[in-house]
Amino acid sequence: MRIQDFTKHVCWLLLLLLISACEERYMPNVIVAPNRFLVVSGFINIGEGATTIKLSRAQNLSDDSAPTVESGAIVWVEGDNGATATLEEAIPGTYTYNGSELKGMSKCRLRIRAANKEYASELVTAKKTPPIDSISWKPDDTGLDVFVNTHDPLNQTRYYRWDYDDAWEYLAEYYAELEYVNNEIKRRDADSDEIYRCYQFGKSTNILLNNTLKLSDDRVSEFRLLRIPSVSTKLRSRYSILVRQYAISKEEFEYYDILRKNTESLGTLFDPLPSQLIGNISCLSNPDEIVIGYVGAYSVEQKRIFISRSELPGRWRRPRANCRLDTLDVGDAILYLESGGYLPVAEYIEAGQLQYTISSKSCVDCRVSATNVKPSYW
Amino acid sequence: MAPLYRVFLLVITLLLMNISAGQAQTEGILISGDFRNSRFSEFVEAVEATTPYHFYYDNADVDTLLINLQVQQQPLELVLRQVLQDTALKFAISRQHEVFITRGRAFLSDLPAGFFERAADTTDAASPEVAVPLLAEEQVRKKASSDIKLYEIGIKSDKTTGKATLAGHLRDAKSGEAIIGASVYIESPLIGTTSDQYGYYALTLPLGRHELKIKGIGIQNTRRLLLLHSDGKLNIDIQEDVRTLKEVLVEAEKDRNVSGLQMGLERLDIRTIKQVPTAFGETDILRVMLTLPGVKSVGEGSTGMNVRGGSTDQNLILFNDATIYNPSHLFGFFSAFNPDIIKSVELYKSAVPARYGGRLSSVLEITTRDGNKKKIAGSGGLGLLTSRLTLEGPLKKDKSSFLIGGRTTYSNWLLRQLPDTDYNQSRASFYDLNAQITHEFNNKNTVYLSGYTSNDKFKLGSDTLYSFSNYSASLKWKHIFHNKLYSVVTGAYSQYSYAISSDKNPVNASEMTFGINQANVQADFNYFPSSKHTIDFGASAILYDVGAGSLQPLGSESLVIPDRLQDERALEGAFYISDRFDISPRLSVSVGLRYSMFQAMGPRQVFTYAPGVPKTEYTVTDTLTYGRGDRFAPYHGPEYRLSARLGLTDNSSVKVSFNRMRQYLHMLSNTTAVSPTDIWKLSDSNIRPQVGDQFALGYYQNFRANTVEFSVEGYTKTMQDFLDYKSAATLFMNHEIERDVVNAEGKAYGVEIMLKKLTGKLNGWVSYTYSRTLVRVNNATFSEIINNGEYYPSNFDKPHDFTMISNYRFSQRFSTSLNFTYSTGRPITLPIAKYYDGDIQRVFYSDRNEYRVPNFYRVDLAMNIEGNHKVRKLAHSSWTLAVYNLTGRKNPYSVYFRSEQGKINGYKLSIFGRPIPTITYNFRF
Repeated sequence: MRIQDFTKHVCWLLLLLLISACEERYMPNVIVAPNRFLVVSGFINIGEGATTIKLSRAQNLSDDSAPTVESGAIVWVEGDNGATATLEEAIPGTYTYNGSELKGMSKCRLRIRAANKEYASELVTAKKTPPIDSISWKPDDTGLDVFVNTHDPLNQTRYYRWDYDDAWEYLAEYYAELEYVNNEIKRRDADSDEIYRCYQFGKSTNILLNNTLKLSDDRVSEFRLLRIPSVSTKLRSRYSILVRQYAISKEEFEYYDILRKNTESLGTLFDPLPSQLIGNISCLSNPDEIVIGYVGAYSVEQKRIFISRSELPGRWRRPRANCRLDTLDVGDAILYLESGGYLPVAEYIEAGQLQYTISSKSCVDCRVSATNVKPSYW
Repeated sequence: MAPLYRVFLLVITLLLMNISAGQAQTEGILISGDFRNSRFSEFVEAVEATTPYHFYYDNADVDTLLINLQVQQQPLELVLRQVLQDTALKFAISRQHEVFITRGRAFLSDLPAGFFERAADTTDAASPEVAVPLLAEEQVRKKASSDIKLYEIGIKSDKTTGKATLAGHLRDAKSGEAIIGASVYIESPLIGTTSDQYGYYALTLPLGRHELKIKGIGIQNTRRLLLLHSDGKLNIDIQEDVRTLKEVLVEAEKDRNVSGLQMGLERLDIRTIKQVPTAFGETDILRVMLTLPGVKSVGEGSTGMNVRGGSTDQNLILFNDATIYNPSHLFGFFSAFNPDIIKSVELYKSAVPARYGGRLSSVLEITTRDGNKKKIAGSGGLGLLTSRLTLEGPLKKDKSSFLIGGRTTYSNWLLRQLPDTDYNQSRASFYDLNAQITHEFNNKNTVYLSGYTSNDKFKLGSDTLYSFSNYSASLKWKHIFHNKLYSVVTGAYSQYSYAISSDKNPVNASEMTFGINQANVQADFNYFPSSKHTIDFGASAILYDVGAGSLQPLGSESLVIPDRLQDERALEGAFYISDRFDISPRLSVSVGLRYSMFQAMGPRQVFTYAPGVPKTEYTVTDTLTYGRGDRFAPYHGPEYRLSARLGLTDNSSVKVSFNRMRQYLHMLSNTTAVSPTDIWKLSDSNIRPQVGDQFALGYYQNFRANTVEFSVEGYTKTMQDFLDYKSAATLFMNHEIERDVVNAEGKAYGVEIMLKKLTGKLNGWVSYTYSRTLVRVNNATFSEIINNGEYYPSNFDKPHDFTMISNYRFSQRFSTSLNFTYSTGRPITLPIAKYYDGDIQRVFYSDRNEYRVPNFYRVDLAMNIEGNHKVRKLAHSSWTLAVYNLTGRKNPYSVYFRSEQGKINGYKLSIFGRPIPTITYNFRF
């Protein structure tokens, strides 16, 4: 039903009826060209916390290597009052500033000197982000919605962007009473590694935007940040989300809105037209050079909440894991455990005979897909 | 001959009487009397009693005639003229005081001047040069098929100067069908016209003798000698030109090119169209239209036309005056019109007449034949993918005829033969049907009833079934008031609908449907007040009803949530008047005004948006609810239609035109072609109508006795408020479509150069077009800005276009045609790099439409072999052998990108990437 399908069907039709249609590689020069445009991501933080700017290079479409970072550049922020703050390169390609020079700047811009060229962002007005009023959530039959609520009593913010980091307890399918150490099966004790309760982390993948232009009041009420299906492992035990809020300018809002809509579908006859996204960074020595990115200046407000399983509807089905317990006698159990793919779970006595239940490693050891290091805020 | 003979005897008798009576005095006899409220018989009694006059008349003619007259000492001629005015009765007074009252035509009581001198010169009394007076009108019309006979038109009078209007129908002598677009003219002074779609013509000529010439497509050049006394009718039967391959292009057009006022008009006869080779050997009118200068399409497999930089929804396609929304079959690989029933196709690219409106770029008028009025006939064709059959014949000889035609494909059968199960579960079928009845009630009233349906179904890869259909019907009544005024009243209904259904996965099984209905009535009047003026006026109204989209679950297991977009209704009306004024033989102008009005109608809910910011989900301020019968979003405005022609010499002229068009209906498509997923959207509070202006200038010259025709036409065009899309717009089941579209402004300009050779063994045309069509979206308060707010090429901007269509006739039975097309590739937005924003990979695109797909060229070859030319045989047949894309050039149809193992690779798909031979057998009986 989707348009991509439609394209596919047309191609089918052509192939079928005409038996003369043919597909050929098409790589015009502009695509084959290196196109190593400078990519700038990050923002100028005029409030609490560090300012972090990442520099990297765009890649050719057919390049499957890891993206290259732009290392060794000089990055600084210029205020309209003449103040400057230089960012230090801590990790290659990542430039950070922790000082207090940026606080209270009213207008500023980012300057970059990279590969012997000077780049600058447009002078932007710094915006102070209003605090998040609350993070609310509502379960229904099939999942959980998480909302953000905020308002600006001065009616000056109007355009908002959010992102979030989330984390959740990840429990192994079976709680193991036993462990297999040095070719023997023994009871787990206080020194044993935690393998039942782990933590997994995620972050926002969508661009989350809203504006309040249609309202007389600058108030965001229950803007949905994400929806978690009821069967998701995120909601099995305890879930936490840290939401960051940014007050952005109209121009930056439009930039992100187009970026949001420029989906993955690529220019066929049947796709909507994407368009070039013009950021606010340009090369001073060569104005025609393409630079990707939009650097705004604002403070950040953040808020974290926790949601426990006990607060969620009990009628929700548990997520189905592809796990099975096997009951084996001692000799067979050792054979399986030696192979490395299995872990013991519990003892089991049947007709006076000691037996073990075992299961595959991923069902017993949560570290297979998560970490057992508890985050500091947990 | 019997009536003629009787008339001849009568004339002789009169003559003898005349001689025997000698010169009688009639001048001195005067009449007085009070004839108020008296019957004609009483009047006659009174006159006969007081004067020597004696009346001869048919009582049935005069028994309803009431006289209201008082006369004092007046001659009888004057009195009778008053008595008989406003009636069809004529009178004649002989020198013997005999008064003849006749219906329709005056009795010729005197022989023409010089009768005896001529009779003395020739011994043959039945010489065709002899005037044939007093033939009943009916007889003149039926017999008007002789080149050498002298036809006398009207009532002879003493007037020798002045003008009179001659009108009538041109008909095919064999089938009785109207002949459209033929030139009817006299050469000195040069006065001419062309027959309209009913074969009707009206000419205002000086009184006296003329040689009337008739030339047209596929008809034999014909002339009629006539002696014009006063207004009259002359219907002309014309022989078909059986040598179908000789005269390729229109002789009518050859004179029109230089001498006609109309510019930017392309008229193709079905014979021309049939000579152009196509991919499947099926004659395709739209495909041939695409070879004309100024007409382009985005790709080979699409019949969507872009006329002079307009988008595909800016063409009004009229099929016997009913609007057709999707003129294609199988995604546009075939046009949806059966070539056997089509008579002619006209495309107005500029100077669109005031009677048309509602679309910005062009009007494509497809006219079907009326059907044979003389005998049952049929024709058909067998091709590789399709077959067609047409039957026609009289319902009542010479009065009414029928025509039915059908076409279907056997691609379903072909698909089932494929070994692969995936393939043989696919379906692709279509058909179209036409039916038509023409009935002539009498000389003045003719009715045309026409119905059309086309239907497509395809299911590919055994999943999704697409189907779409057109239905249309029209009823036209043509009424001739008198020689100078006729009217056509048309009622038409059109429906276009499609459905996309998917049932492979029972959980997702669903059907999406869309439909648009329109009902329209229209009255058009043509008035010829004098030889210098032709006035057209009329009015029209269209009621639209759009089922904007509905998504329904299919089957009991489906979990699809039913969804339905709001239906849309609207009323569009227009009235117009235009006057064509021939100031001198060299200079003529046409001035027209059309005023169109539009109102959306409830029931409907419409969002209002905060002013001064783009329409998005974030900026809704209110929801307005309109009930049934509520009207809202009124738009209206004038549309100017001006054109002028200046003849420079007998063989060259300059023409200029300006026209403004308004369009209230928009097609939203996420393809640049016409496809069965397009949405037609009416203007409303959030979507303004499109307005387009075009200025065109042309120079026309004919060489070598009008056999070679040269034209250069330049145009500039501006378009306001046509719809372009925001980045990544969604059209499928979108409840708030206004948020995803932007009002763009467009401009287009170009030069079209064409050289045609019309006759001879080698004929055809060569054309070159340079044209640009550019779009700008630069209103930050209403939408995002695209490409920095600068003009960028539209999706169908193809600057260079060269086309050659050539035919060479080796003999009457064997001919070949060779066609060549070249055009610049269409614009495309390319992804040019990928990058990481945080951890998310994103693709960076070029400016919109910054790059182009490779250039397009193609060579086609066809051979036509006719059967023998014996006139009497069971069936005439011909074979067409053709090779499409002779050089096997892989012209890209689509360019797309796929992500494969971390790389993004570009591909181009060519559909006719190798030579495609076809063979078609055509027959008619």
